[in-house]
Amino acid sequence: MKNLHFREYFKNFLYDLNDFITIYENNLHVFNYDKLNKLSSDEIILTIQNKKVLIKGEKLKIKQMTKQELLINGKVIKVEFVYEE
Amino acid sequence: MKNNQLWVKINGSNYYKIFTRLNEIGISIYDNKIYNDFVLILTNMQDYEKITKYLVSYDCTIYEITGLKKAKRFFHKYLIFTIASILSIIMLILVNNMIFRIDIKSNKKAVQELVKTSLLKYDLKPLRFKISHQKIESIVKKILDENKDTLEWMEIEYQGLIMNVYVTEKIIPEESQNRPFCDIIATSDAKISSMNIYRGVPLKEINDYVTKGDVILSGEITYNDEVKNRVCASGEIYGEVWYKVKTTVPFVEEYIEYTGKNRYNFNVKINDNKYSILKSRIQNKKLEETNLYKLNDFEINLVKEREYVKKTRILTEEEAYNKALSLASEKINLKLLANEEILVKKVLKKEVNDSTIYLEVFIATKENIGEVRENKESDLNDSGNNKQNSE
Repeated sequence: MKNLHFREYFKNFLYDLNDFITIYENNLHVFNYDKLNKLSSDEIILTIQNKKVLIKGEKLKIKQMTKQELLINGKVIKVEFVYEE
Repeated sequence: MKNNQLWVKINGSNYYKIFTRLNEIGISIYDNKIYNDFVLILTNMQDYEKITKYLVSYDCTIYEITGLKKAKRFFHKYLIFTIASILSIIMLILVNNMIFRIDIKSNKKAVQELVKTSLLKYDLKPLRFKISHQKIESIVKKILDENKDTLEWMEIEYQGLIMNVYVTEKIIPEESQNRPFCDIIATSDAKISSMNIYRGVPLKEINDYVTKGDVILSGEITYNDEVKNRVCASGEIYGEVWYKVKTTVPFVEEYIEYTGKNRYNFNVKINDNKYSILKSRIQNKKLEETNLYKLNDFEINLVKEREYVKKTRILTEEEAYNKALSLASEKINLKLLANEEILVKKVLKKEVNDSTIYLEVFIATKENIGEVRENKESDLNDSGNNKQNSE
């Protein structure tokens, strides 16, 4: 994935992170996700390290996608963990 | 990496469903574009194969291939066209660099043959490749050196597929042609207007009147009334010559009018003999030929046959007068050479009958009136004896 992203790999190397989410202006970069559970224009649910992450927003679209990384484009309103009861 | 990428068109209106499915089968998407009825995704070849294998419920086609694959695909698709184009270009280059005909620009057949054999010696003949300008120059130099006595100057230039050879034959000086003594005499009654003397002694001056046969330039070079040398006089003598031209023109003039009916035909020309391919059905016709193919003495021409009818009309007196006047000029113009011209044109007499107009026109021209007259052997001997006696 082009420009995805040397800086992030480097950061990951420095901070020793297995996964992370980076929010840019109208872009959200997810590194090392496990599964895409739900995809819609206002809600995306991902599984990262057995935890479900909910991304809420408007006009959400996937710009780039590989097995490890996701680049989501759109207006991001909220990112939160979902705990199932 | 980019060489392996391609745009895939997936038909379907639910973008999110398509992407979820693509994610499930592990497809990498580097870019995408969403439309109402389909989605374009930029992926790689391996993933495209996966898509066609697992995403069977969607109609997936290759939309565009980028990089080297695109070029390969184009060449594969237009293989015959590409090969034909390359062959055509090669043929064009080959044909463009070949000599199809050699034109030797000389009136004398002997010179033509000489040049032809000389060129053959250096492998310059039809259906051979053109050679560089430098090589041509060296060949020309060699040919001129080999034929010092016969050739004065030579130049070769290409005109398309034709090689033009311009040759000038060596002119043997007059002295060596046994013309030791000659004069220039007037060919007609005239008033001398200009003289360019190359050799000889002028006996007349500009504005002098001469009659036919008068010696204008003498080949005898005298000093103190004694003949010192005899040469062949040469020079250009221009004079004003007068003519009285009579012309009669009928008032009824015949002319041709094209009917607008045209027919096309082909003819084959072999060694100045023409053979029509189709039978002509027009009786009165004018032919306009367009060359389609030419190789040496073989030609194929497209012939346009234009039908015409002969008609007559009555000229007015003024029209007939002008026609007669121009006819008179034409008669004189036929006699004139280069540098010669009509100076004055005046109508002396005009007679109009019922059916014709008669004109007598006075025309003054500027003409070369000098002609070389060789003196006889006896004259020379006589004069030689006289010279001895005088000594």
